[in-house]
Amino acid sequence: MAVQSEAPSAGGAKRRRFFGRDKASPVNTLTPPEGVPIHFEVAGIGARFAAQLADLAITFALLVAAVLALRSVTGGAPVFALWVMLFFAIRVPYYVAAELLWNGRTLGKRMLGLQVVSADGRGLTAHAVVARNLMKEFEVFVPGTYLLFIGSFGGWEQALIVLWVGVLIVLPLFNRRHQRLGDMIAGTYVIRRPKLILLPDIAAAPASARAGSGEAYEFQPHQLEHYGRYELQVLEQVLQTGGQGDTGAGVEAQYRRQTSLAAIAEKVRAKIGYTDRVRHRDSEAFLRASYAQQRAFLEQRRLFGDDRSDKFHRSYARSDKR
Amino acid sequence: MGSGGGKALSFEETRELANLYRAVCTSLSVAREISLDQALLTYLEALTGRAYLAVYAPQERLGGLVRRFFVSSAPQAVRRSAAHILAGFLVLGIGAVLAYILYFEDTSWFDAFVPGGLAAGRGPSAETEDLLAGLYDGATTPLDQLGAFAAYLFSHNTRIAFFAFSLGVVIGLPTALLGFFNGLTLGAFAALYVDRGIGWDLFGWLSIHGVTELSAIAIALGGGFRLGMAVLFPGPRSRGESLRWHGRDAAKLAIVAALMLLVAGLIEGFARQLVTDTDSRLLIGWGLGAIWLSWFVLGGRRPEGPG
Repeated sequence: MAVQSEAPSAGGAKRRRFFGRDKASPVNTLTPPEGVPIHFEVAGIGARFAAQLADLAITFALLVAAVLALRSVTGGAPVFALWVMLFFAIRVPYYVAAELLWNGRTLGKRMLGLQVVSADGRGLTAHAVVARNLMKEFEVFVPGTYLLFIGSFGGWEQALIVLWVGVLIVLPLFNRRHQRLGDMIAGTYVIRRPKLILLPDIAAAPASARAGSGEAYEFQPHQLEHYGRYELQVLEQVLQTGGQGDTGAGVEAQYRRQTSLAAIAEKVRAKIGYTDRVRHRDSEAFLRASYAQQRAFLEQRRLFGDDRSDKFHRSYARSDKR
Repeated sequence: MGSGGGKALSFEETRELANLYRAVCTSLSVAREISLDQALLTYLEALTGRAYLAVYAPQERLGGLVRRFFVSSAPQAVRRSAAHILAGFLVLGIGAVLAYILYFEDTSWFDAFVPGGLAAGRGPSAETEDLLAGLYDGATTPLDQLGAFAAYLFSHNTRIAFFAFSLGVVIGLPTALLGFFNGLTLGAFAALYVDRGIGWDLFGWLSIHGVTELSAIAIALGGGFRLGMAVLFPGPRSRGESLRWHGRDAAKLAIVAALMLLVAGLIEGFARQLVTDTDSRLLIGWGLGAIWLSWFVLGGRRPEGPG
């Protein structure tokens, strides 16, 4: 029955590349001086744009307040150029001070759970914060202001401004960390702040799941040879979603989950050659037991230097020998 | 970290935070080697990440930062970029000299060098009296002055400085061109006024803010050149790294230039209308220039101790 998994190595390699999740790709890895790389999720363009809009709204509100205050003092409406200048004088200190005092998070970034980090894995320096926010002036606000008056410029100046805005706005789309030019100069990028979620360990809490069936599933070592880390973790995901503690799910959803678990259990049973029948309502208990024992087995193999990344591990081993 | 931030922690708590951070780093590292429990790994990853973000937060105070900028880092950056700033002056100067010579060949060059908006009626066809009056008349109301100041700040020279600096990334060529064109304008103006025999008056009018302003433009040009050089000749570094490295100084040059433009704007908006005597104008302008120069030359000479 194990014959099925003896896939030709070429197909295996292809599939491995396809399924291989490159979580450890260097793009979102940050190595602090402690030498333990940490993976952060790079913030999406949309979230950053939204944060920027929120910050713009905040600074603009400050600007309006400042202009109203000025107006009550001098009594006249200030000229437009003064608005522009005041906006500059409010905006730059706001961004720099906010990112310095709140550890790389302006109010807009706070709302969206974003944070600026230094790509070298050290702390955010004052220089980096100043540089990335000053470059923002050159990149976004100055050409943006000119864009408002684009009619008053000559032909080649118009073309220059459009080119400038165009190039700098698409720049974050074409690098994997979504860095602006200012980010590149400052050596920073923006991440999503990780959220702390600790799900219960499935392998450690089998008692309640097994209570219903009253029988324990035991697997032989040769039955645990089939799967690798990838399959194990997919199974973990399946079991974690909509499990015991999740009472919010309706009867319909519970039924669907039960059905899919039964299908998975049947596949697993056939693949590993587990001869006893698994009843429909016991399939979750079966899968939990399978997960716990499979994990213990794989973790033990791993301690001996045998890291099985997925179910094609045997074909790799053979092709390596060749 | 809670909402209290680092200040809410006592000394022991802070020290413990650092220890806990190292402990969780170790745990993550061990777990990656021995555990296949994705839920646990994800949790540890997030915990380590958040601890890292808390431990490696910026540790500088805003006040100390501003002080350090003025006392040492800005003048040091200017000194390190002296050659580039001189190149900026040179580009301006070449343009000015060229325009000056060409004007005396043929006065119609004036219109080619000076944009219409900037000339504002000043040109080869204007009366000498009008030109002279333009140098010495004062504004009438305070709001007028403020308006003139703001309009000025947003006007020609600031724009030139902005463009010159930020376009430096494009191998510095636009920077050089902009400096050159700006020099042409200046040279054409100088030639016009010298031609009418009121060169000295223009010199005074220009000096009071121009010493600061042209230096600011030269410094912005210098910053642009540094960025351009970083892209053109990255040396042993990669281009990105080189840009980052030179960006450290270039950013400081940009701040210095912005500061000088602000001062020049204040002088142009207020002092130039109030001080109409050429000698005092020269004194203020070049005195201020001397102050800038001494800041750049003398500032931050003594090496500051670490921390």
